[in-house]
Amino acid sequence: MNSYSPQSLQYEPRGFQSKALAVGVVCLIITLIELFLHPTQFFRSYLFGVVFWLGIGLSCTAILMLHHLVSGRWGFVLRRSLEAAARTLMWMALFFIPVVLGMRYLYIWTHPAAVAADPILQQKQFYLNTPFFIIRQVIYFGLWIVLAYFLTRWSGEQDKTANPDLVKRMRNLSGPGLAIYGFTVSFAGFDWMLSLEPHFFSTIYGMLFVVTEAVGGMSFITLVAYFLSKREPLSEIIRPSQFHDFGNLLLVFTLLWAYISFAQFLIIWSGNLQNEIPWYVYRINHTWATIALVLVIFHFAVPFLLLLQRFVTFRRQYLAWVAGLLFIMSILDLFWLMMPSYEKAGPQFYWSDWLALIGLGGIFLAIFSSQLKRKPLMPLHDPNFVGVLQHE
Amino acid sequence: MEPLDPVDSPVAQEEPPAFVSPGDPFLAPGHSYASVTRDISGTVLRKTQRGWWIGFAVAISLFLVLNFGITLLFAIGVGEFGINIPVGWAFAITNFVWWIGIGHAGTLISAFLLLMRQKWRTSINRFAEAMTIFAVMCAGMFPFVHMGRPWLFYWLFPYPDTMGVWPQFRSPLVWDVFAVSTYFTISLLFWYVGLLPDFATFRDRAKHKAGKLIYGFFSMGWRGSARHWKRHEVCSLLLAGLATPLVVSVHTVVSFDFTIAIVPGWHSTIFPPYFVAGAIYSGFAMVIMLAIPLRKWYQLEDYITIRHLNNMGKLLLATGMIVAYSYVMEAFMALYSADKFEHSMIVDRFFGGGYGVVGWILLSCNLFIPMTTLWSHRIRTSTVGLFIVATFAQCGMWLERFVIIVQSLHRDFTPSSWGMFYPTPTDWMILFGSLGLFLTLFYLFARLLPSISIFELRHLVHRTAEEAGVIEAVEAE
Repeated sequence: MNSYSPQSLQYEPRGFQSKALAVGVVCLIITLIELFLHPTQFFRSYLFGVVFWLGIGLSCTAILMLHHLVSGRWGFVLRRSLEAAARTLMWMALFFIPVVLGMRYLYIWTHPAAVAADPILQQKQFYLNTPFFIIRQVIYFGLWIVLAYFLTRWSGEQDKTANPDLVKRMRNLSGPGLAIYGFTVSFAGFDWMLSLEPHFFSTIYGMLFVVTEAVGGMSFITLVAYFLSKREPLSEIIRPSQFHDFGNLLLVFTLLWAYISFAQFLIIWSGNLQNEIPWYVYRINHTWATIALVLVIFHFAVPFLLLLQRFVTFRRQYLAWVAGLLFIMSILDLFWLMMPSYEKAGPQFYWSDWLALIGLGGIFLAIFSSQLKRKPLMPLHDPNFVGVLQHE
Repeated sequence: MEPLDPVDSPVAQEEPPAFVSPGDPFLAPGHSYASVTRDISGTVLRKTQRGWWIGFAVAISLFLVLNFGITLLFAIGVGEFGINIPVGWAFAITNFVWWIGIGHAGTLISAFLLLMRQKWRTSINRFAEAMTIFAVMCAGMFPFVHMGRPWLFYWLFPYPDTMGVWPQFRSPLVWDVFAVSTYFTISLLFWYVGLLPDFATFRDRAKHKAGKLIYGFFSMGWRGSARHWKRHEVCSLLLAGLATPLVVSVHTVVSFDFTIAIVPGWHSTIFPPYFVAGAIYSGFAMVIMLAIPLRKWYQLEDYITIRHLNNMGKLLLATGMIVAYSYVMEAFMALYSADKFEHSMIVDRFFGGGYGVVGWILLSCNLFIPMTTLWSHRIRTSTVGLFIVATFAQCGMWLERFVIIVQSLHRDFTPSSWGMFYPTPTDWMILFGSLGLFLTLFYLFARLLPSISIFELRHLVHRTAEEAGVIEAVEAE
């Protein structure tokens, strides 16, 4: 197995990074026009984009910790991509600052007049107030960056020193790390998304947010593995059986997403209480109903049936198509969760929504690619990785 | 006629050369096909030990308590329970949810871990499956005795009767009937299919005529031919695929029994995943509570190793963390909701005069004790420590269901209809009696059937030997 040298496993962006950066910057600059024309719309579009791409980095950090905990065979070939995605959090945190600056355009509870007129908002002020919101964001990003930093640093050290203790150290961080992740991301979901409609509450919402992100992250990382495996020597290392494992993970996350979404829907629908039901009333009426139906079919039914087929999961092209579908659906899912808070009558097409998403995506991919080329694409000195290569 | 499996045949019983396994911690070193077969079947095919009789006597005494309680209940009526409006559901439903929760770990271990190719499940799956079946039997008893008119239980099933009355299909109570009975059927089938090769081993090794006949009958003519094994493999895999979603669906449906209502404390969207995690949590606690005495009394330390206990402790920790997460979410959302009913429900749950103390005992048993100790490797690998923690978790899970059901009901929207529930002696008799039923069944199981799957252990021996490069030593047997 030692035929793979670190040099041969070096990722070369071949112009991808600069192209992504250029597209990202241009799209973001065009979106900025909206800041002067319609600042409210600008911030809504920006929030949509930044939550989506932050979600990719966050869920990849979680998948990385899951891999360290269970040390599944599937994780070794993904590890470097997951680490690069986790490291984007350090930069994407800067891109969250505009959300804090534009809070008053986004969240109704930041308006003293609106709070004064609404007794429910008054009671929620202990949590929904600007200073506490900002403190929470600092805590979340601080914890996430610490997790991402140490997991990637130790992995880099392992490349140089091949110290077997590092495996244990990464595993020991991942257990508590996943617990911290679960709580912080749930509360981030409440802050960023749930509080857009401050009257609505649902105890499963945090879990729904975590799993929604996980579908996006897993489909992203599967697509990355597909593109990397097109070239030598990774085409020999990432085998069809590993794509089968990625397919199974995608299946698990898709099923979890469907399970949690349906549980929330059934319980709120049958309860039909005035605090809860409005959230669904406009999400399953008007044109939003069409999006909901598209999600049921293409975020659950179609991928579910396809991912059960071994001829799909063992073929990287087919699996990449399913992952691509799930990636697009997780964007649409976020759109359906977020935008009806503003557009109750039905979805409106705002060019800035999609331009901000593409712009932030370009920047995310540029950072991702710059992080990916810093280390060899495989953790060659992980004692367990050696076993992965021998088994093939 | 296909050749006999060499180990199943009574001829091949002389001591084969033992080999040294590479120290795989899931199986102690030095085992061969024959030593595994001899050790496990030795726990059954021998004279009944005195210790077994003592334990069985205790179990059957408790079982008699159950019979006494149920006789009282049927003779007098459900007034024998302490239930009254507003608390119309209490111990019986708590016990139902608790037992059905315990019945989750077995199928999870055997089906889910089989699909995940986790080889450490091999030596714990058999008795965990048995535990599942007995726990579901205990659980199934409770809705039945709670019915008031149990002789009309068949009204739960949709059949075209002359009255033209159908069950209310929108009621989760009806979904429960289907979910639980399906789960029971699949678990039983899965268990039985897994037992087939071992029944054949027992048939071949039994000295007593009756043993030969009975084990022979249940082995359904198993001869261990390649074709048999192939069918067996396919069948196990299919049943595992069927059983895995059932593990999730049963407790999800049980959680719908509560969440579909609008009672504060019941109507909470996190209940489905939270109930499933809680079920697996209590199920693993029960597996630990059974595994530790079992390995001690039957000297099975070679097979149920410390590493198994460590892994189960980790799973207990992981599922317990999901339960902890759910507690935090429930409490936070009750405060965040600004809904006065949700708010007063959560305050009453921990600071109310009625059941506030129970709430804190529940938190101690379920969170404070297990979630602080299980992080420690030393606790997870100590049999006494792990047993104590698992017992706390088990009590905590019973209290959790009690608090959810009774505390939520006892104070609903109108203060004039508030009221307390106090358990009666019959309530206690049936709760502890159900433990008697469970233990009686489990003692019988441990006496009559192999508590650890012999054929899967042989497979483990084979794989361990292969990895160690000493497969010739085993195959030469």
